[in-house]
Amino acid sequence: MKDDYLWDGSGEPDPEVQKLENLLGRYRQDQPAPAFEQALDQLAQKQNARRPWSFLVSRLSFQVAAIAAVALMGVASFVVIRMKQVNNSGPVWEIARIEGAPRVGWHSLSANSKTAQLKVGQTLVTDNSSRASITLDETGQIEVDPGSRLRVVASGPNRKRLSLERGTIHATIWAPPGEFVVDTPSAVAVDLGCVYTLHVDDSGAGLLRTTMGWVGFKLNGHESFIPAGAVCATRPKIGPGTPYFEDASASFRDALTKFDFAKLTPQERNALLGMLLAEARPQDALTLWHLVSRVSDAERPGVYDRLAVLAPPPKEVTREGIVRLDQEMMDSWWNALGYGDVYLWHMYERTWPEK
Amino acid sequence: MERRAVIAQPMTEVSADDTLVGAARAGDRFAFGLLYDRYARMVHGILLCRVPPREVDDLVQEVFLLALRKLDSLRDLSRFAAWLGTITRNRANDYYRNASRVEQPIEPAEEEKAQSRLTDHVVEQEAAMTLAVLRTLPETYREPLMFRLVEGMTGPEIAARLGLTHGSVRVNLHRGMLMLREKLAKRAVPKVDDNANKAKMSGQNE
Repeated sequence: MKDDYLWDGSGEPDPEVQKLENLLGRYRQDQPAPAFEQALDQLAQKQNARRPWSFLVSRLSFQVAAIAAVALMGVASFVVIRMKQVNNSGPVWEIARIEGAPRVGWHSLSANSKTAQLKVGQTLVTDNSSRASITLDETGQIEVDPGSRLRVVASGPNRKRLSLERGTIHATIWAPPGEFVVDTPSAVAVDLGCVYTLHVDDSGAGLLRTTMGWVGFKLNGHESFIPAGAVCATRPKIGPGTPYFEDASASFRDALTKFDFAKLTPQERNALLGMLLAEARPQDALTLWHLVSRVSDAERPGVYDRLAVLAPPPKEVTREGIVRLDQEMMDSWWNALGYGDVYLWHMYERTWPEK
Repeated sequence: MERRAVIAQPMTEVSADDTLVGAARAGDRFAFGLLYDRYARMVHGILLCRVPPREVDDLVQEVFLLALRKLDSLRDLSRFAAWLGTITRNRANDYYRNASRVEQPIEPAEEEKAQSRLTDHVVEQEAAMTLAVLRTLPETYREPLMFRLVEGMTGPEIAARLGLTHGSVRVNLHRGMLMLREKLAKRAVPKVDDNANKAKMSGQNE
């Protein structure tokens, strides 16, 4: 049995597992035990080095200690103010021309100019024949397709914010989750550790496709989580629609688009929801999980029942709890789907205002 | 390294964790060295699930040093593995929380992608991308698979280190492998070109 090989290396070798072992074996732990005694000695020396100070301080008079404290506060204030001034300058995105002549303000990047910089407040514009990439070492790299306008809104040490006014970007982000966001006219995309493509058309409608990791999309209280392989559309004044996997059937996708954005009669809405529930596959649990909080109270039990069949909820999640949209249960069910820990979203999303 | 024997029974590879931990706590560095040999791959694997690969070796040393210093706080000696696992995961989290690091933290799954751009070697690139995909799996599957495929541990070893039943480790390895296969097959998702996007958008605007 091939699984035996995966289990303990016995039985008939599974060629795919063997290949992965060979490929990944290069990362294997091969460091011998360190000299713990030495390391501890070094640590002890460091601690001992601090002792004379603590001994001295303990013998200082109260007055001298007070003067020292005031001086220390002064120095600390200076350092903090100085650090803020330095931080205000912010990291700068490096622009590299890929083709054509992308512009920053009046400055055009010709074939001769290798790189330029994109600072807070500046907008990178690509016409129909130009492309560029922008890179920030600590954050990631973004390729900007032709016909795009991309502005740098903020560039603090842990806060990078761009605004895609129109066009398409391909973002590869290696900053920690939640540090990088892109505004669009119809939603805010919060990176949760991922690679994604974001498109905004002239009407301000957007489409986000995640290739790796996951992205949070939000506006007006609507939140969508888009894991790898999924897509989410967004519309001005409405916000993000319901995400879906790209391999869903055309009829499922069409029904979802209408359900999210079209003006429907109650009968039409009911028919579309029925079709979505009937056509949903196990992987469409992603879509149904989002629908739970987007349907009416009367519709919700039906969505729960179908979702529970496709992706059985964890033990602590009850039908009654989901019907009343218990946040902990919703979160728990999301985490059980295995696309990413919703804790990350709650931790970072609130730190990014929509405007 | 000075190794003081503080118990009558000699320390061996097969000594139970609590015996080794008890000896290490009493100052026996040899016993702690045996614990390192026993658990270094587990610590390494947990870290590799979470932090950039180039940081892992240093962090393994840090975790064991921290464990040695805090060993007195371990109440139930038989829970050493779980305790060390928690220390390791917290250390990985601290790596990202610590804003004062000179070097900025890098998102785990993307690190390999960034590294892969720096090398022309096809196999290195494939290994980096495979590791990146492995790191996108849910934690339930990610750690056991990391232990099995990267660290070369067997299922029974993984079960022993993680304190899980053989059955659950076997299921997690099996399901994780299925998911990894699926993700590896899908990993080359083509970029959306502008025209395709626009066509999609106009379709959705109907």
